[in-house]
Amino acid sequence: MTHIQEHFRAKRVYEVTSSGPGKGLRLNDRIVELGEKEFGWYEKVTAWLPSVRGLADLSRELEMDESKVPKFIEALEKSGLLYRTADMPATMTGLEFHAKFNAVLKSWLSEAFAHPFWERMMSGKGSARLFTGWLIELYHYTKNANRHMPLSCAHAHEKPIKQLRAKHYAEEWNHYHYFMKSLKALGFAEPDIASSVPLPMTLALSNFMRQAAREDILAYSICSAVLEGTTTDRQTYNPYYEKAGELYGIPKDAIAPIYQHLDLDVQYQHSDLFHEIMEQVPVLSAARASKVLDYGHQLVEHVWLWTDNIEKYYQVESNPMPRRPFDAALD
Amino acid sequence: MSTATSEGSTDLPVLRRGATVARTNGHVVIRHLRDEVTLDGAAAQLFSKMEPQLDGKSSISSIAERLSEKPTRLRSLIEELGKAGVVAFATTADDGALTTGMEFYALHREHCAYWLGDVYTHPLWEKIVTGRASRAQVIGFAFEKYHYIEAAFEHMGIAAANATPEMMPHLARHFIEEYTHGDIYRKGLRSLFPDDFVLRSQPLPSTRALVNYLIESAQRSSFAYYAGNELLQMTENTGDTRAGAAVDEFYDAMRKHYPYTDKLIDSFIAHTKADQKLGHADAFLLMCESVPPLTRREVNDALNVAKNMAEHLVLFMDGIDTFYTRFPTVPRLPCNPLSE
Repeated sequence: MTHIQEHFRAKRVYEVTSSGPGKGLRLNDRIVELGEKEFGWYEKVTAWLPSVRGLADLSRELEMDESKVPKFIEALEKSGLLYRTADMPATMTGLEFHAKFNAVLKSWLSEAFAHPFWERMMSGKGSARLFTGWLIELYHYTKNANRHMPLSCAHAHEKPIKQLRAKHYAEEWNHYHYFMKSLKALGFAEPDIASSVPLPMTLALSNFMRQAAREDILAYSICSAVLEGTTTDRQTYNPYYEKAGELYGIPKDAIAPIYQHLDLDVQYQHSDLFHEIMEQVPVLSAARASKVLDYGHQLVEHVWLWTDNIEKYYQVESNPMPRRPFDAALD
Repeated sequence: MSTATSEGSTDLPVLRRGATVARTNGHVVIRHLRDEVTLDGAAAQLFSKMEPQLDGKSSISSIAERLSEKPTRLRSLIEELGKAGVVAFATTADDGALTTGMEFYALHREHCAYWLGDVYTHPLWEKIVTGRASRAQVIGFAFEKYHYIEAAFEHMGIAAANATPEMMPHLARHFIEEYTHGDIYRKGLRSLFPDDFVLRSQPLPSTRALVNYLIESAQRSSFAYYAGNELLQMTENTGDTRAGAAVDEFYDAMRKHYPYTDKLIDSFIAHTKADQKLGHADAFLLMCESVPPLTRREVNDALNVAKNMAEHLVLFMDGIDTFYTRFPTVPRLPCNPLSE
């Protein structure tokens, strides 16, 4: 590993857009404009940084004299596209960590909901079946909160955090009834929904929450905060339901319980819970802060792939809806 | 064999739920798993008439009455379809019948071979063989295989620690034989990436989903866990010559289109050989020989886990195919306060 490879890493780029003859790279806090040639160089540098190839290889790929490469790397760092590993703070307080999370949440949510499914649904290219399938999976996800929320209480070691997690569970545990109401308004029988099985990625989401609960209560709490971040106010979610209702003939009775559920989340101020938890944490090491943040980002990726799984399954008309468990006698 | 399809209870016929019915030129073709029945003439007409009634809720006599047909005529066709495997007979209550481990083994193999169909026909294979897969997808494929194999530490460890007395020797042996296999893949990846990056890299959510599903099953039921794990083993360590040749062709094509994966492919092959040498292909058979007879509930539980595992395996493939297209960063390093 070269000196450069040891000391520099790439920042996450949330979106690359065409910008005149070059590209616009959207970071969390800025957009960096690069010309076409510089963008090509940037791509080569980011592929080379985590590799075992030497500086001579990079110099050849960039068609740049070896002596000039470090300057180019520094220019990338100044633009914000790279960072130095040495700049990592050794520790941070719980509230400093929360501020970092708050600063990045909007970018994360844009990543989680960047799946083409949403554009498809909003542009009229979706269907009532896709809307319903998504609702069935939300029912399962919400019901499965009973698989991870109490587990997080069991694995929280400090009393104030235990208390906060338990209160959250007490307020949330039976919210799946709202989705059952919606599904009944769409014509489904309660036993058929209650006995149905979720898609693998829906199950994966609650299994990942269980993993986080066992690993670190802050890792669990950041995942929960990412999910709650989608329901801070009505403006976030109303347009989707309004539009879907209008485009796909979803009855108002099926949408009303979803609003009731979301309003309740806002009323409980669940989006503030992570702040209350982090207030209880005097200090986090760099390693713990990184681990917790990484759990939050993994949850973002789970949401993206969850959406993908829902779209792929429910767009096939012949796939059963709801999904029945396998029965050796009948299947 | 006596799960819920008790031989004598032919009063509530049901067209098996996964069956497909196709009609051409007066013929009716019914397919279920590998079973296929073709009906023509009067039998085809009678089947078409009664098909909507084959829901497991109506007795043969009440169907006959509704259709104004003779019950004996209906019963005769239904029983033939039952023997052919496309019609089952629902029972109104669990009759307490038990399934032996070896009966389960046969049932499991039949269903798993069918469920694995979607894995073998996944579009990612063709993309790699024809050279249409991107660098991120190809290297991502190697990373995700590594993460899955390395996770033996987690799910196999948990399975052994929670094993029933009958399953413990098998699960202990399996863990001890497998826990080093992640290093075989790691060696391949080290030809392209520093060791520390390989070790700290993140699996895709879809790979984590597969591992977590194994973990959750392992905590809950030793037998159901291994019924699911066996489905995965069926894709790995075949000693079958024809299947082996197909795998060789896949690797040859991969080497041709992606020369930089040479060492990775060497590691894939080394792992397959290591598995074959261990004789894992027989492990599940030995387990089935040693478990006590299973209740209907246990049979369904274990088969549900196996079916879910097949779905998770498709998800594993989907993740590599879709996610690395949309987010082509590889290796996937964990984030930190400066990376975001």
